[in-house]
Amino acid sequence: VSALGHYLEEEGIATVAISLIRPQTENSKPPRALWVPFELGRPFGPPNLPAFQKQVVLAALRLFERESGPVIIDDFPVDDPRAQPDAAWRPPPVPAAAAAGPAETLAARLENEILLLQGSHQRWVAQHRRTTVGLSGLSVGECARYVADWLRGRAPPSPREGFSAPLMLRFAVDDVKAYCLEAAAAGAAKPSSRQLGDWFWNETAAGAAIHALRAVLQASEDERLRLIVSNFMVPAARVRAGTSPANQRARMQS
Amino acid sequence: VTRLTDLPPAQALRLAELECPDFETRPWTTGPALSQRRVAIVSSAGLVVRGEDPFRGRDPDYRAIPGSTKPEDLLISHISINFDRTGFQEDWNVVFPLDRLNELAAEGTIGSVAETHYSFMGATDPVQMEPFARDLAGRLRQGKVDAVILPPV
Repeated sequence: VSALGHYLEEEGIATVAISLIRPQTENSKPPRALWVPFELGRPFGPPNLPAFQKQVVLAALRLFERESGPVIIDDFPVDDPRAQPDAAWRPPPVPAAAAAGPAETLAARLENEILLLQGSHQRWVAQHRRTTVGLSGLSVGECARYVADWLRGRAPPSPREGFSAPLMLRFAVDDVKAYCLEAAAAGAAKPSSRQLGDWFWNETAAGAAIHALRAVLQASEDERLRLIVSNFMVPAARVRAGTSPANQRARMQS
Repeated sequence: VTRLTDLPPAQALRLAELECPDFETRPWTTGPALSQRRVAIVSSAGLVVRGEDPFRGRDPDYRAIPGSTKPEDLLISHISINFDRTGFQEDWNVVFPLDRLNELAAEGTIGSVAETHYSFMGATDPVQMEPFARDLAGRLRQGKVDAVILPPV
């Protein structure tokens, strides 16, 4: 966003950037930036703590009142109170997912798991009145089937006009992840992102299926497919030893 | 993934040293008091309104997000999977603080909130974004926006 700030400011629009990665902001020297000590993905901090979020927004906007620039980088001093794990959280029960095993078994488990999580996901939607499932334009059941078919080695054609099959695989994986993580967070407990991620990547059939898909399709002759499965399915921190591609692409974060 | 320090070292280094054009100028635009300003959000989270095409890979263009958009209709199509999405899933203000801006406008802390907000896909090469960013500046001016908050993701 530092470059965007530069271009807009040159055009006469005043900007303030939120910075999640201070060294990056120091390098790029935007007109104004507020560094925040939150995890990537949470530029305004904790969900559903409006007073806290407002402090962050206001701390950023107050930089418009400073006259000491260009290049102001200020720091927001308070950590995200929702970054801590919640010991009371219990993930929805799913059958133990074997990390290894025949692809057909894993594919069937993935599809079954989506059904098992339906009740939890409905509770999530009732609680928050929203879902972020929807990038693929398919139902989550269709997403699971599409991912499962790739795992079964069928290389299914794209179900959406104008979108390549590898791209649809990426969106279907994104939707499956969103569905499972929303289902897992239904209820009164406030799990941290790490708790949710640990559950998804270590306990679920969906997580195991995505790991397996990555391992299998990295050997594909389709370069685009290789790139997508290598870099845009399993977070770098979750990649298992020995499966890291030689050519991890940079610039995966804004 | 939580903070930069929790990422594998090689990737943390790549993010920290992420290339940004070496600009020769340091532009600086001043304006009226905060209570007079009209504020827009320009995100780099790859946000799209449900039903519109998601960003593909590293598209350099931007998408408009009308201020009337409902929380259930905003999606993240950023290509990176190395950031938390569960905060956004629970509350869109974590990434797109429109409710907070509306409150600040209602209480008079800022002048007003723009009718339209925008999003780029932040992993795109900034040089390719430049013509779109300059085009966006024209639309922001038309919308009488004089303060932009730029959240990454």
